[in-house]
Amino acid sequence: MLRALLYLRFVSAWNWLLTRVRSLRRPKNLIGAAVGCAYIYFFFIHSMGGPAAPRPADEHVAQALARAQAQLPVDWLPAMIALGALGLLFVVACAWLVPTERPALGFTEAEIAFLFPAPIKREALVHFRLLSMQLRSLAGALVMTLFTNRAPILGGNVLTHALGWWLVFSALSLHFSAARFTLTRLAEGGTVLWRQRVLWAALLLVVLGATVLRLPEAMPAAARGAASLRPVVELAVALGETAPLAWLLWPFHIVAAPFLALDLGAFARALGPALALVGLHYLWVVRSVVAFEDTAVDQAAQRAARITAWRRGGRAGGPAQARPGPFPLRAPGRPEVAFFWKNLLSTWPYFTVRVWLAGLAVAVAGAWWIARSEAFAGFASEAALTILIFAGYALVVGPQFARQDIRSDLTHADILKTYPLRGWQIILGQLLTPAAILTGVLWLLLAPAAIMLWPAPETGSMLSAAGHVIAALGLALVMPALVLVQLLVPNAAALLFPAWFQATRARGGGPEVVGQRMIFFFAQLLAMIGALLPAAGLGTAVILALHWIVGVPAAVACAAVAALAVLLIEVWCGVRWLGRRFERFDLSTERPT
Amino acid sequence: MIEASQLAKNYGSFSAVKDLSLTVRPGEVLGLVGPNGAGKTTTLRCLAGIIPATRGSIRVAGHDLAADPVAAKRALAFFPDEPRLFDYLTVRQHLAFVARIYGVRDHEALAQPLLDEFEIADKADQLPGELSRGMKQKLAIACGLLHGPAVMFFDEPLTGLDPLGIRRMKNSIIARARAGAAIVLSSHLLHLLEEVCTHVLILKRGEKIADGTLAEVAARFGSAEGGVNLEEVFIRATGGTEH
Repeated sequence: MLRALLYLRFVSAWNWLLTRVRSLRRPKNLIGAAVGCAYIYFFFIHSMGGPAAPRPADEHVAQALARAQAQLPVDWLPAMIALGALGLLFVVACAWLVPTERPALGFTEAEIAFLFPAPIKREALVHFRLLSMQLRSLAGALVMTLFTNRAPILGGNVLTHALGWWLVFSALSLHFSAARFTLTRLAEGGTVLWRQRVLWAALLLVVLGATVLRLPEAMPAAARGAASLRPVVELAVALGETAPLAWLLWPFHIVAAPFLALDLGAFARALGPALALVGLHYLWVVRSVVAFEDTAVDQAAQRAARITAWRRGGRAGGPAQARPGPFPLRAPGRPEVAFFWKNLLSTWPYFTVRVWLAGLAVAVAGAWWIARSEAFAGFASEAALTILIFAGYALVVGPQFARQDIRSDLTHADILKTYPLRGWQIILGQLLTPAAILTGVLWLLLAPAAIMLWPAPETGSMLSAAGHVIAALGLALVMPALVLVQLLVPNAAALLFPAWFQATRARGGGPEVVGQRMIFFFAQLLAMIGALLPAAGLGTAVILALHWIVGVPAAVACAAVAALAVLLIEVWCGVRWLGRRFERFDLSTERPT
Repeated sequence: MIEASQLAKNYGSFSAVKDLSLTVRPGEVLGLVGPNGAGKTTTLRCLAGIIPATRGSIRVAGHDLAADPVAAKRALAFFPDEPRLFDYLTVRQHLAFVARIYGVRDHEALAQPLLDEFEIADKADQLPGELSRGMKQKLAIACGLLHGPAVMFFDEPLTGLDPLGIRRMKNSIIARARAGAAIVLSSHLLHLLEEVCTHVLILKRGEKIADGTLAEVAARFGSAEGGVNLEEVFIRATGGTEH
């Protein structure tokens, strides 16, 4: 029987692969696959084959390590083992302490429909599922190896990394199944689970507390108070090696050891215990199996609903929660506001003016304190520049995350098109929510940066205090228009290339999806640069022309207004053009009926 | 009033709807019938302004749908076969949203009778995810009726409704037609069309095979036999294999 189930698994995998290959007949998939494969090869695979070494791009990492007087990888191995084991402990503790509806063994709806009523022994079903989990662990291990193989601080090679990851994932997945079976068995035996969880959590806290109390004697005296990263390393090592936490972490050390092995000899020595631990977990699962069918059926239905909702453009993170509107929506008024109101309801509930004001107060107070503190004299400007760089990054990638616009509503396009509204009204209304969110975030970043960059009188800064304020306000003024221009690009892409846009929403895709996403991102970057050049050019010209006549502060103010005007014109043209495009948008050409 | 003249919809070289002309006057209910792929949904979508027609003209409540789509859409409501609801708006919030879009003043007073009529008043603060398929359908219909449309398009309106819901839905369509609405509905449930429709239009491969009152169409395809029902007419008109 197991052979039939294995047939199902391997034939499915083979057909999945064939489908992927056949999909390359479509140009968008072929181009995406070419770009994606090139990226994966040059970024990940090209450097495989030998021990990882620091690359020029990792110069800053190398410098940081040099400052810490660390020798790689020997010097960091204990710290990595300690941190890895602590991380695994956290994950495993969550499996026991945090209640979950997830079944011990997950099946798809099709597997349930075909296999549950079939004359198959439960043991065979369990083994089929465990084998599937191992295949998934292997796939996860291969992906993780691509990333970790680039890390210069690791020893070993690509093979030891891949097998090491597989052992970690395998042990974890088996442990999760065993934990859920054990918890179910306890509950069926009359144990009140929440009390049991409280007891376990208390025990864990006692272990952590006892360890922390013993830490000072475990820490090397030389490390305490040293002005480098050394104390952090020593703390992690001491935490992981001090009893009683060290006893608790011992199995995790065993699991993580093959991945962190420096050479093949160390890997061979670590492999046996790790495999034995995985084997013990397997026995634990097989011997603790209890009824799993009900939970599996429920979970499969929920997962199928989530996937369907996600593919249709809805939310994938579980069912939404009803909550009051962000503000009262009265019937008379601009219809665009209704979209703003509706889309705000689809975001996180803490995107409110009150939360934003509280965040602003904290950011401003913190920045003010840092700017005035002598202890942070050199830090304030560096922190401000870092924040500004992050703000620039947020401006570029923010539209990919704030998607409460036409991209999320494409599946409702047929309903939107029956509304008695012009296309531009729908587009403008749809853009308001992400624009408000991103502008709020950027203002939150600009405010502390402006305070920390406050010009000191003795530094002879080009901008006076007044000029500094005007420049900051000017930047804040153009920000909403800047964000709207940014948002126009992905929305235009969704309406102009709906097939590409839908393809980038594909889940768990192969290289072609990776490539399609990259092409999309770079196209957006280029379009953004093209849209920003006129505003930036005019602003610069205004400053150059006027600062001799009216002074720098006034010239900066004029430049901000000029740039804002250009950006608003671009936004208006873009919204009108996208509106016409939406009016002509024919979903049925993608899905003929 | 719905008037379509020489309506055509092409997808590349494929013609989904070919030179279709129809008129639905206030108080009339036109049933669109046809085999799968006949172009019923495409026709409805063109008439409701959801997709652009390749050729031809459409007038809804006296407004040209191409020249003045906003005025035309203000008078119509479209009810898709699958209720398309926003995951994160409650029943009441859906109605508030639609009221703002259509500029319906005092919508609470209008919404309550609709909620009562469709028996979803007790679900007013629930999200679509908490509603059954039939409840979602009812909410979609309530949203469509909120602005009192003079023209309505129903695409398989009974899908997912329970027997009582089907009865109420039929009565609701008839009542709104009697109140002066022009209605087009597409369905494979021929007994529904017999009960509700005043006129019928049979489509096949995008072309009109026959139209007229039920009696006229039955007379055309019933030959000399008496008492031919719409199912027989449909099979004969579309060249089915039953006979």
